[in-house]
Amino acid sequence: MGEKILSRIEKWELTYTHSMGETASHFFHEIKNHRRLVGRRAPKAGRVLMPPRAFSDIDFEETTDWVPVANEGRIESFTIVCQQFPGMPVPPYAIGFVLLDGADTALGGFIRGVDLTEPRAAAEKLKIGTRVQVKYRDKPEGNVLDFWFEPA
Amino acid sequence: MAMRRVAIIGSGQSRFRFRRDDATYAELVREGVRLALEDAGIGIERIGAVVYALAPDALIGVSNAERWGAEAVGVDKPMMRLNTGGATGISAVQAGFYHIASGLFDVVLVAGADKVGECGHAQVVLNKIWDPLYERALPLNAINMLSLSAVRYMAKYGMTEEHMAMTTVKNRHNAARNPNAHLRDEVTLQQVLDSPTLCWPIKRLDACPQSSGGAAVVLASEEVARKLCPRPAWVRGVGNCAESYFMGDRMGPKAPQDHADATALGHSFQAAYRMAGLSRPAEEIDVAELYAPFSNTEYHAIDATGVCAKGQSVRLMERGHFELDGPFPVNPSGGTQCTNPIAVTAMLRVIEAALQVMHKAGEHQVPDVQTAIASGNGGDHQFFGTMVLSSDPG
Amino acid sequence: MLGQVAIVGVAQTSGAAGNGRTLEECIHDTVREVLGRAGVTHEALDTIVAASSDQVDGRAISIMLTSGALGGYGKDVLDTPSAGEHALVLAWLRLLTGAYHAALVVSWSGLEVNDLRTVQNLSCDPIFHRQLGLHDLASHGLQAGAYQSRYGVDARAAAQVAAKNRAAGARNPLATLRTPVSAEEVLDSPVVAWPLRELMLPPDSAGVVALVLVSGERAAELGRRGAGRAAWLRGVGWSLDSYWLGQRNLAELTSLRSAAQRAYAMAGLRQPLAELDVAELHDVTAYHELMAYEALGFCAAGEGARLIAEGRTGPDGALPCNPSGGSLSDNPYFATGLVRVAEAARQVTGQAGACQVPGARLALAHASSGFAAQGNSVFILSGEAD
Repeated sequence: MGEKILSRIEKWELTYTHSMGETASHFFHEIKNHRRLVGRRAPKAGRVLMPPRAFSDIDFEETTDWVPVANEGRIESFTIVCQQFPGMPVPPYAIGFVLLDGADTALGGFIRGVDLTEPRAAAEKLKIGTRVQVKYRDKPEGNVLDFWFEPA
Repeated sequence: MAMRRVAIIGSGQSRFRFRRDDATYAELVREGVRLALEDAGIGIERIGAVVYALAPDALIGVSNAERWGAEAVGVDKPMMRLNTGGATGISAVQAGFYHIASGLFDVVLVAGADKVGECGHAQVVLNKIWDPLYERALPLNAINMLSLSAVRYMAKYGMTEEHMAMTTVKNRHNAARNPNAHLRDEVTLQQVLDSPTLCWPIKRLDACPQSSGGAAVVLASEEVARKLCPRPAWVRGVGNCAESYFMGDRMGPKAPQDHADATALGHSFQAAYRMAGLSRPAEEIDVAELYAPFSNTEYHAIDATGVCAKGQSVRLMERGHFELDGPFPVNPSGGTQCTNPIAVTAMLRVIEAALQVMHKAGEHQVPDVQTAIASGNGGDHQFFGTMVLSSDPG
Repeated sequence: MLGQVAIVGVAQTSGAAGNGRTLEECIHDTVREVLGRAGVTHEALDTIVAASSDQVDGRAISIMLTSGALGGYGKDVLDTPSAGEHALVLAWLRLLTGAYHAALVVSWSGLEVNDLRTVQNLSCDPIFHRQLGLHDLASHGLQAGAYQSRYGVDARAAAQVAAKNRAAGARNPLATLRTPVSAEEVLDSPVVAWPLRELMLPPDSAGVVALVLVSGERAAELGRRGAGRAAWLRGVGWSLDSYWLGQRNLAELTSLRSAAQRAYAMAGLRQPLAELDVAELHDVTAYHELMAYEALGFCAAGEGARLIAEGRTGPDGALPCNPSGGSLSDNPYFATGLVRVAEAARQVTGQAGACQVPGARLALAHASSGFAAQGNSVFILSGEAD
């Protein structure tokens, strides 16, 4: 029809209050009070789940007890984010999944303390198997930004 | 009781682009439906039930938009919608298959569309798929989720950035021959390697686009298919298998599966092969249209088909094994890497497999196809739907 | 001839999510409960179909996180976000193919979102309806108004429906609202969207509902073929009307009428009012129960008010409707339709406790979705295998 095509801008405005439940709440209280990470044991496979969950979906069973894990471990995977996504942190930043000593599943978090300006060079420093330590922020707020990883 | 035979007798798809400002969402659905009905040679009155494919509503900015789209598929019919994330399109075709295999319907329409361009940036929506307790703040999205897989696949099987680029070069070559594909410019290995890094090791030219357009499939019972279609694509097998949700559960020595691989996709294919009676996929399958939104993921998807050992796909790619004129063509349409209207992306995999079996793929037709496979992946590398289509009703 | 499919277990967690537990934890508990009740192991499940709303849940692909809670790892998992009850339809279709024998069907609604009305408003197209502030309630007001004026229905009839259901809900331990209200109280309650008054509307509840379905063959193996041992799906119909309110006849539930025709034809039902023992209807408002009577063929068009006035759908009537209290007593929004099926299954298996209609053998469950009840489904359940 050759006319100008019109458009409307619509913003969704919804706010969700997600209950964390007892299990995840305890995980964050432990960070706040003791600067330590705790996992949950899934008895059938004898695996310690990190982050902790009330039930293990792989085993389809309740987890039974809390298991403190070490503040260090090895990188199981990582990526270096180089593109700016709206509303997300300014790149570059590295996200890693780390198998903490004493845990059987890997925990996601930021990896800091590595120069990321040249991604391929940084990738060498972050390669799978690299040992890292857990660091905590001074005033934990009860979310996953309370901790991050740095090469040991 | 033997299951009723079901065939694909028609399909339709838009010429996909980044934006389609000329049409609303519902009108795009209609576009796919109109083309599919024309292809099948039937009117909407023949359709007994409808299955709708629509992934996250937020991508088009309308909640339960299938209700808005009701008009596009014919009012006052039995209708349901499927959503398994990226796998939605193949899940919907499978649901259509069950409608007929159950004995309840004879002709079923499966339809959908996406206008991913309208939500701003898909990765902002796709951040909200993650666990709000442990993961959303990181922030994860669909790109870095599969970068995490790429890094593990590299470490495990020796895939390099060059190998990833080879996939893109192949798929763009194929897409250049597919008029419906979104990204149709051929690229060189060096162009891929030089493109800007999104989430290392995934670069811009390793990644799929955001596409807009509609697609639809018409499924029919054996009786109807034989009457209406000279060479239907018979649905010989369907499979479905879910992976665990937490990516961290797919890492470490005690993990039952590895985030490098697509283990559940392998199980899904095995289920589809069992139903189809296939036991030697490398010999029995002529072409594969596999859901692979990023270049690296085509490798674990090929591994999962069982045509080669895990990791061997990388070596075979070096030798041109998966090219359009190679021994086992993969993604003759150009694949998800070249066209990605999320709600119907996995349906396009089925449509391409059907076109290949029906010998209607035009310039990207693989010669003499009798049996083709298709797959769709959804969630965080989590829901895997597969299908076996054949010119032989079995 | 279609195969046989039976519901062999139902479980429902009410007021669950948001109660200091995660949504996934609530779902997991309900799934474990229903498997226990059905006597079906997790290993034996060969298909899982869930239904969830991404916007209600605040999870952009809600089935991702919830799949693990459903026991989905390594299983065949699908999700039907068009309506809670569509999960049941799809699971039933799969079992009918003969390739599957045990299905888990689950739907839920948490109350983690700040405002359900805003979620519903997002169902409007952004071009013609979004700015009108339309949501389920407003659309139901439009519809009730159209119905009322078309047939000259007195508001008292809707008030009687509310009073009947709230009295029944007082006996249902799973209900959110357990205090009876009189028709006068309903009529005195404030207008929310004319002609709808506050006590004619469902509450916002949270909850999870889960069902286990098995093939006839598996039901036999489980020893569930005896009378009252399972709820057999004898007829199923579902349909979607037009989205455009301006081209619909709002005074009638058109898609419910066609869904019912399909379900009745399948079940061989000719005189529903006489043949059915109990019905669970999805009252998106009290007026909609009256409209449902008509669309379901319990009475002629415009006769719904007479049916309630004569007490024929009350606890001692010919066809008790909503003995559970219905959605006016408990309304886990997205899952409410599937709760109607769970209640109907309880009735025909004699497990409805204080809500039990004595001797109920044949039940109807109705589920509704969308603006002005755009989509409707009907399920006919029997306590007898054949």
